[in-house]
Formats: sequence, structure tokens, C-alpha cells
Amino acid sequence: MTALLEIEGLTGGYQDTNVLFEISVKIEAGSLLGVLGRNGVGKTTLARLVQGEIKASQGDIRFDGQPMGNQPAHARRHMGVGYMPQTAMVFDDLTVQENLSLGSSGKPPDLYFDLFPRLAERLKQPAGTMSGGERKILSFVRTMIEDTKLIILDEPTEGVQPENINHMADCLRERVAEGAGVLLCEQNLNLLSDVADWFLGLDSGRVTMTGSGNMTTRKDLNAVLSL
Amino acid sequence: MASALLPASLLLVVLLLIPELFGDFMAYQIGLYLIYGIAAQGIGFLWGKTGVLPLGQALFFGIAAYVTAITLRAEGNLFLNLALAAIVLAVIAGSAFVLAALVFRGRNESGPYFSLITLALVMIAEQVAGTATSLTGGFNGMSGFNSLGNLDPFGGFYYVIVAATVAVSLLLFILNRLPVNLIAKAVLDNEPRMQLLGFPTHMIKGAAFAFSAMIAALAGGLFASHQGIVTPASTGFALSAELVILTAVGGRFHVLGPLIGAVIVGWASTELRDSFPYWELLMAVVFILVVLKAPGGIAELFEAAFRRVRPKTPTSAAPAVTAPETRFDKTPRPLRFEDVRLKIGVVRILNAVSFETPATGIISVIGPNGAGKTSALNTITGNLSVTGGRIMLGEVRIDSRPPHTALSNGIGSKLQVPSVFFSLSVSENLVIAMMAGRLRMSDLFKPSTFQWRSKSLSDILGHPSVPLKEEMTAPVEYLPQGHRQFLEYAMTVAAEPSILLLDEPCAGLSPDETALMTKLVQSYQSETSRLVIVIEHDMSIVEAISDKVLVLHLGKVLAFDDYDKVRQNPQVQAVYSGGTK
Amino acid sequence: MSSVLLLNLAWQISTLALVALGLAIVFGKLRIMNMAHGEFVMIGAYAPVITSMLGLPGWLQLPVCLVTVGPVAFVLERTIIRHLYGRMFDSLLATWGIAILLREIVELIFGRGYQSVSPPIAGTVCVFGADYPAYRIAVIIGILLGFIGLYWWNTRSKTGTRIKAMVGNPNLAEAIGINTARLSAGAFVFGCCTAGLAGLILAPTVRIEPMMGLDYLIRSFFALVVGGLGSLEGLGIGSGIIAGTQTFLGAVASQTYGYLAVLTLSTLFLWLKPNGVRSSSR
Repeated sequence: MTALLEIEGLTGGYQDTNVLFEISVKIEAGSLLGVLGRNGVGKTTLARLVQGEIKASQGDIRFDGQPMGNQPAHARRHMGVGYMPQTAMVFDDLTVQENLSLGSSGKPPDLYFDLFPRLAERLKQPAGTMSGGERKILSFVRTMIEDTKLIILDEPTEGVQPENINHMADCLRERVAEGAGVLLCEQNLNLLSDVADWFLGLDSGRVTMTGSGNMTTRKDLNAVLSL
Repeated sequence: MASALLPASLLLVVLLLIPELFGDFMAYQIGLYLIYGIAAQGIGFLWGKTGVLPLGQALFFGIAAYVTAITLRAEGNLFLNLALAAIVLAVIAGSAFVLAALVFRGRNESGPYFSLITLALVMIAEQVAGTATSLTGGFNGMSGFNSLGNLDPFGGFYYVIVAATVAVSLLLFILNRLPVNLIAKAVLDNEPRMQLLGFPTHMIKGAAFAFSAMIAALAGGLFASHQGIVTPASTGFALSAELVILTAVGGRFHVLGPLIGAVIVGWASTELRDSFPYWELLMAVVFILVVLKAPGGIAELFEAAFRRVRPKTPTSAAPAVTAPETRFDKTPRPLRFEDVRLKIGVVRILNAVSFETPATGIISVIGPNGAGKTSALNTITGNLSVTGGRIMLGEVRIDSRPPHTALSNGIGSKLQVPSVFFSLSVSENLVIAMMAGRLRMSDLFKPSTFQWRSKSLSDILGHPSVPLKEEMTAPVEYLPQGHRQFLEYAMTVAAEPSILLLDEPCAGLSPDETALMTKLVQSYQSETSRLVIVIEHDMSIVEAISDKVLVLHLGKVLAFDDYDKVRQNPQVQAVYSGGTK
Repeated sequence: MSSVLLLNLAWQISTLALVALGLAIVFGKLRIMNMAHGEFVMIGAYAPVITSMLGLPGWLQLPVCLVTVGPVAFVLERTIIRHLYGRMFDSLLATWGIAILLREIVELIFGRGYQSVSPPIAGTVCVFGADYPAYRIAVIIGILLGFIGLYWWNTRSKTGTRIKAMVGNPNLAEAIGINTARLSAGAFVFGCCTAGLAGLILAPTVRIEPMMGLDYLIRSFFALVVGGLGSLEGLGIGSGIIAGTQTFLGAVASQTYGYLAVLTLSTLFLWLKPNGVRSSSR
């Protein structure tokens, strides 16, 4: 069975400088890959390479067996790849409702309103006037309700209060159970231990650790992040 | 200053040679191009450094030209005329300063609107000049006067123009090497950050605009003498647009760029206009290409080629100079919110918030997302104005004041998303931070200001785990998020604020970096015995550092007590369960 | 107030609204300070001239207009404009260059002299007790209906929202599946075609010459600044204020005072209320 996402020998970066080197990893449908590493190791770069915001210098990305090639980001979205960026993650000038409706497939966000009631209260409010954590939650819900097979999230819990992080973990688990694949870049080790089926540790743009959820201990995860 | 004298001297020599090599008529023509070039240099300074694009510089050019014409027509004493010229220049500069400062005050993103205002003003001027016949000679213009000092435009007057050109260029070269230059670039890069560092950015832009207006007026005065006639076109939109094009094509980031643009475009236009019917077309294409591909214009292309032959030698770091003391009141004072309300549109963000902090210590602010924590901090700095109640610092009321006054009350603020100067290097960022709260006007013009260092900054940079030391010359835009957090922290602390506001200083930091940041904050507070207010989500950090904890929920104060009591408060437990990263 | 003045007001306001509509889309929505806006009006005004030059029947003026303006706008968008999104000052400068370019090309082809064309509907109609050109009445009614239709479409369509999203955060727009290249090209071409259409409609009532665009550019910008960018109501209000002031003062005092009043009013708005009377997001 072909994996949902296959990355082979991926090398890429910004302008003339490569930041990631020879990354190879697979994500099966119905599983969550946690990507961890210190600041600046390339987690965001990896997310952007898969999502299409930046182009790879070398290597292959195959989605559902099809090579992604140089497809632009909007085409990848139509192929089924969803993305929650680390920064600038909502449309500040649009209301909460408009932010949600632009991405959605018609899947109603009502279930999510139960978990995050603040969002429902703020439907008519411009997203830019919300607090940082609320914007993260909005972006997260928008990503969850999209009709996508692979979801990429870049540090979704930064600045989010712990209770809401738990809700986010529940949502992720449910999507994975429904068959989605998830690429989750995070520094929050608690969350990663909670939801990840597989781990990928990065340092200086290279893979330094891989492991399955069961076999990897907290000590292994800490080692990736230690100075 | 030697490095400024060299290019200015070269310029002088080149310009003096022109009448010798090419004759008086060519000198007359070049003189005209130089006049336009001087006006364009003013635009280049304003636009290249602060990003403000004036679309109506002919307003100042034309007013000065008309005033000069009227004065010269009345004849009279040369020295009196020159004195009058100085007065007119001062009045023009003053009005320009007031205009720009008023337009930019309290508004950060008004650049394009300011450009349109200058456009509208020059159109009014052109209209008035064309119809107020009694004052300006109307559509036909004003003539019948001799040039300044009765000098011949085809002879001696050329040297007056050369003197003006070299003087203006020399002045601009010198300014490039002074702190004023860095300040202007920083305003363009990140205006809100400059305001939080205590700089009144609207006045900086106003001063830059006034300076450019003065230069345009100088050029206009020379124009009247040179041409012997002033028409409404001298104060018109077409001339204003032409000057901008000259600046863009010549290069707005280099002192001599606009001169090069004026001379090349002027000469080519005169030579080619008759022989080449597609001349205007070609100019338009060149202009478009410059905007898209070579925004630094011809001058930048020259410099790039020059740098290939002679690469820039890195300047050795000058020795550190102890910075003067910060100039705000450093006595510890408590912060007091009195029934503060904040409403934006229909959304109630803060709802009758009242509390008083001790005069020193670390206060953590916690609360669910959307509780109003960042907004509360913004009301302290003045980025948001309260809609009710007031905020007191000791006996001084600090709310609803413009953000650039925050530092004068001793308030330093680090924002939720690291806000630093992306186009500048790490060391340049720190130089600007060192000026915050310590600067006098005269320091803007002294090179030694670049070398200011303070103990608080050296402590942070010297700390072995802080990553900034190795990255001093790196442009900030390439730094990872975490390092930017440390940079912004260092910049905020450089001014040794009496109240340090930190909005999620550990966001995006790894566990080890988080521990480092926490230690830095604690040592700052213990060494300076000042007040620190921190917004945090991580309860382990809150527990470790706080003297008191303020809990906000839905814009209201839920609790304000020491950590253990807050932890056990049932209301707090109900809405907010803690956790660690 | 005389009926003729009223009708003139209606004519000036509605035609300004139509002329400014294209800029409302390109500047108001796409944030491109299109200094060549007036030139697209100008090119549209030349459509009847081109049509008769080619010996084509009069009813082909509209297709000729679209076939001239559309491809020019498209080529300019794909080569130049697409680099300028989010760079407002650069868009100002580059489009200024484009304006000069277009003016020069038209001048080279048609010369600098004035042209004129006759209106497709001749004669006058009696309205409110005054005899007024039938063509103008037809245009006023047509523009009114057109705007009603546009307003109705806009409230139901997601396009405006998607454009706003794209302009505010192009990377995120791509991430959620918006083809930003196609959307921005489409919006720009549509805006320029609207300008060309305005030119075509105005052609029988003005002197057609290469420099005619500047005046429309200035008044369109000021109508948007005063009324508010990014909303149809703003466009209507702005056109009303600008055209109204100019026409009224022009009739009561002189053209010069009318012009000066518009400039002064716009300056005050730019200074004190730069978001205009109505700056909502639609």
C-alpha cells in the first residue's frame, strides 16, 4: 500500500541557501508524524516544502502515489493537502466566519464550536482583533474542517492555553482515526507524546532521530531538543 | 569625515571642468540639469531613507522660484536678498515639517495618503499660479528680472550652481555617516518598534520632509535666476513627477544618484528628442524596468559593479563608549489600573479592570486565550487608548498617550511577535536600542553615538548561552524566531526600563532557551529592583518567578495574589487549568 | 435648483462612479495604485475611433473596446503588475511608467489632436421640464441599473472576500486553494475593462485625445479617498461628493473654484479621515 505522503532525499531552503538536507520519511494515512527540533533546525521549512510555499532544490515528494513536482500551493490544496502556518495564520481583515467559510468543504464547524465556544461568540469579529491564541485556534479549526487527506500543522499550540491544547489533541486524534495523515511540527513535547504515532527529530536540517510512538521515550525526545 | 570629502571633491572637480572642456552653452544646460538634480537629491534623501514618497516637490520648488523672481524684480541689496532667501527657506521648512508631522501623527501606515496629499497640494498651487495673474503673472509666468548678483546664466552663475550642488552633496554624504541615517532607516523598517523605543516617528518623518522641502526650495531659487522666467509649470504636477522619475532612475539610495539621473536623462532627452521619435517611449520603458528590476537605479548598478572590483572592506569595530544615563524617572512606582475599560467596536476587551502592583517585583499575568492580557499591556504602552477609567504610574497618568511617550515614563515593552528591525543587522538593531531613552538632539549628529554600550546590554550579550554574539553582522531577517526573541529582549532591556512589559517572552523557544530567558528576566529584576510584568502560559515559569499573579478572564480581574493562593482559588480553577509545556 | 443643474449633477456623479469603479477594484481591492487608470479610460474612448477607422459597423464598438483594453490589461498584469502586489509605492511608480507608455503609443498611432464621435442616440428628451440629451439620460439609467446589479452580485458572491483574503495574506490564500495568479489577473483585467467601458460611454461627450486620462485618474482617486476604499457604497458616496461639489461650484462660481474645492476637500479627507466616509469591507 502506498503511503499517503512519501518524501525522499528532500533538500531545500531559501534563495541560494539550503536549510534541509536529504530528508526521507513516510506518512501513512491514518497516522500522525510528530516533527521536533530546536529553533532554526528546519521544521517550518519542511512544512513549507511539502505544502508548496517553497520549492525543493532536490528530492521527491509523492502524495497518494503521485509526484508533487513543482505544483503550486493552491494545486496541492486541491490534491488534498491542508496547512496551518506558524505565523500569519489567519486573514486579519476577514471575520471569523469568513475565515472559516473560505476554507471549508461545507463540513459544519459546529462540533468545534462546542470545544472552542469563544470562536462561536466572535463570528462577526475581524480575525485581526482577536488575541494571538484565539487566532491560532481559529486557524486550527479552519484547517480541521477542510476536506483534506493530509494536514500539515506548524507549531499550532504556541501561545495556546493548555486546556485548549487538550481539545486540539482530541480533534487531531479524531481526524487521524477518520483516516487523515498528519504532519505535526512542534516544540510541545507533552502534546507530541500524546498524539504522535511516529517521531522525526531534526537538527541542523538533517534527520537525527526516527522512532515509533511506543518505542520512543521522553528521554529520547528531550535529547533531540537539548543544547 | 574624510570619506565624505573625497567624493564631494571629485564632484567639484568634475563640475568645474565642464565649462573648460565643453564650453559655456553646455555649462548652461548642465546647470539646469544640476538644478533639477539638487531638487531630486532632496527627494532621494526623503524617499530612500524614510520611504516617504513626495509627489509634489514642485510645490516648494515653485514657491521659492516665484518668491525669488518677485524679489529679484524688485532689485535691491544682494545681502538683503540672501537674508530674505534664508527666511523663506526657514518658513518653507517649518511649514513642511508641521504638515508632515500632523499628517503622520497617530497614524503609522499613511505613506501613500501623504503622497496623494502632496499631489493635491501641488495641483492647487499650479491652479493658483495659473489664475492669480496679479500675483504670479498668471499663465504666462513672471519674467523681467536679472539673476542673483547679476551673474550671467551662461557664465558666472554656473559656479553658483556648482557651489550649491557640492554643498548639498557634501551635507548628504556627512549625514549618511551619522546616527541620523540609521534612525531614518529604522523608522522605515519598523515604525511601531521605534515608537516603543521612545522615538517620535512622526517628527522624524516631518524633519526629513522639511529637509527635502528646503533642498527643493534652494533648487527653485536657483532656477529662477538661471532661467529668467518662472511659469506655473515650475510649480506643477508634471515637474513633480519628472523629479521623482529622475530620482528613481538615478538612484534614491545614493547621494549622487539623483544628480546622475538628472544629467543623463536631461542630456539624453535634449539630444534624442528631435532625432528619435520614440524617445518618450524609451524613457517610460527604462523607468518601468528600474522600478521592477533595479530599484536602486543607475547608482546602485554602478556600485554593484564597483564592489565586484573592490569588495567592501569590513570596518573594524570601534571601541565601546559608555552610554549616558537614561533620562526618565527611575524611582520605583506602583502600577495602578483604575476601573479601566477598553472597547473596540462592539467588542468589550477590558471590563472595569482594577488592580495595583507593588513598586517592584515580577508580576505574571495569566488567563485563557482572549482574556485581554495583550490588550492590557497595549493600554499601558499607549498602543491602545482606554475607553474608560485610567492607568496610573505612581502619581502620573499614563494611559491614552501616544506610544512614543511610553519610554519617557520608563515603560519598556517586548511584544508577542518579536518586533525588531528586519532589514538591519543585529549590531545595528542594538545600536538603535542603545539610543532609546538616552538621546539628545546633538547625539544624532555625533558618530560616537554608534559606540554606546551599557552594562545591562553587555550582561545579556556576554551571557554564554545567549546566541546573539556570533550573529552581530547578520541581517535579522535570517535569524530564527527564537533568536529574534532574545534580540528583542536585549533591545528592550538596553534602555533599563523601570517597568518591563514582556508578552510571552518564551513563545517559540525550546525548553532550554526558555530556561535561559527565565533566568535573564529574574536577574534583570533582582539587579535593578524594578517592576516586571510578564504574560505567560507556562505555569512552571509562573510559579518560579512570580511575586504576584494577576488572573484575567473575559476582560475582568479574577484574582490578584501570590501564586499558591491563586492556584487554590476555585474560580480560577474553574475557568483555567494549568499545565506545562 | 434648475432641472438642468439636477440632471447635470446626475450625469457627473454617475459617470464619475463608473469611471472610478475600475480603480475601486484595482486600488480598493487589489491595492495597486494604478496611475494608468486614466489611460485605460482613454483607450476605451478611442474604441469608436478605431471602429470607424477599421470600417466596422457602430454596434461593434463595445467588442472592439473590450478586445483592445482586455489583452493590454492582461499582458501588463502578467508582466509587470504581478510583481507589485503588496508593494504600494512601487505599484504607483511602475503604473506611472505604464501610463506614460500607453499615452505615447496612442499618440504615435493617432497623433496628438482631438477626435470626436457622435452619440449613438441623438436628440433630446424632456425630463423634469428641461430638454436634455437623450444619450445622457440613457447612460444615467444604464449606470444606475448596472450598479444595482453589481451590488446584488457582490452580496452573493465570495469573490470579493477571496480577493480581500488574497491581498491580505497571499501565502495563506494559496494554502487554502485560491489560485492567486488567476484571481488577481482576473480582477485587474476586469477593473481595467470597466475603465475602458467608461471611456467608451463617455466618448461622444468629450474631446478624445491622448492626454485626457489624467483628469479621470485624479478624480477617481479622490472619489475613492473621500468615499472609502473597498466598498460600493463608498464609491457612490465619494463620487457624489466629488462630482457634486465640482459641478455645483462650477455652476455657481467658476470651474477653477470647483476644481480647487475638490482638491481642498480631498486633502482634508486624506489628512483627517483617510479611510473615507464608508470604509467597510465588501
